[in-house]
Amino acid sequence: MATLRGEQGAVQFSAAGGSKATVVGTRSWSLTTTKETLDTSKQGDNFRTFIGSMVSGSGSVELVYDPDATGQAAFLEDVITAADPADATFELFTTGTSSGADSVSFAGILTDMEITSAAGELVVVSCSFITSGTITMNLE
Amino acid sequence: MAAADLNAIRATIEGRLATELAGDPAIPVVFHNMAYEPTPQASWVQCLVSFGASEYLSQGLTTDSQNRLIGIVTINIFSAKGVGSGANYIIGKRIRDLYNRVIVSGVFFDAATGPEALALPSPEGYFQTQVRVTFESIEEL
Repeated sequence: MATLRGEQGAVQFSAAGGSKATVVGTRSWSLTTTKETLDTSKQGDNFRTFIGSMVSGSGSVELVYDPDATGQAAFLEDVITAADPADATFELFTTGTSSGADSVSFAGILTDMEITSAAGELVVVSCSFITSGTITMNLE
Repeated sequence: MAAADLNAIRATIEGRLATELAGDPAIPVVFHNMAYEPTPQASWVQCLVSFGASEYLSQGLTTDSQNRLIGIVTINIFSAKGVGSGANYIIGKRIRDLYNRVIVSGVFFDAATGPEALALPSPEGYFQTQVRVTFESIEEL
């Protein structure tokens, strides 16, 4: 058994496909994956039955803002991509940065970017995304 | 990107004070682990830099990651006993202004505390006040 700590995680991103690079300065990430369900109950049934349907995901990434940090600007500014074709690719790592290992990868759209500056605090950025297409899980 | 150089941070803090107190009027300043025999009834300053807790700032373990290093600089200001506090506070203002909310060489100084008069000066025989400033530095690995 090997438990993990959040600081082992990482986020890799590419704004327009191609090879992904680590976004330096991420503080946390989260991903919620949802499977819709279809009701297959029939007349005469006493208990509802379902089958699984479409799968989708959404989540967030929080960063400590640093204008010089590798990969940050491309990540944050993807939110203003007009007519976004969902060509950005994400890989969220629970540990390490070996592509396809201990990670979840997908194409998606950055839907939200909030940057906060407050006296006495670090400037932090919070971004939200939704997945588009296949979600590949390598969490084993 | 490299582990924090604690001596560089210390030098930034101490160097700033040494330069200021070398100016007119010059006031002797002594740092951690230095022998000093003060002149009776003459003003002098002791500067103590201490590093404290660090914390994770970002993900990434030993590469592409950041830590926050926190520390405190404690500055004791000694002046002649029995002649009021004015001379001491003049030095205190010079020192407070030196660090108050200043960002220099990657060291972020917070709002300064003091000069705060101490009831029991150490060493005895002086009027002692203390200025304390917490600081932080971001370590980039």
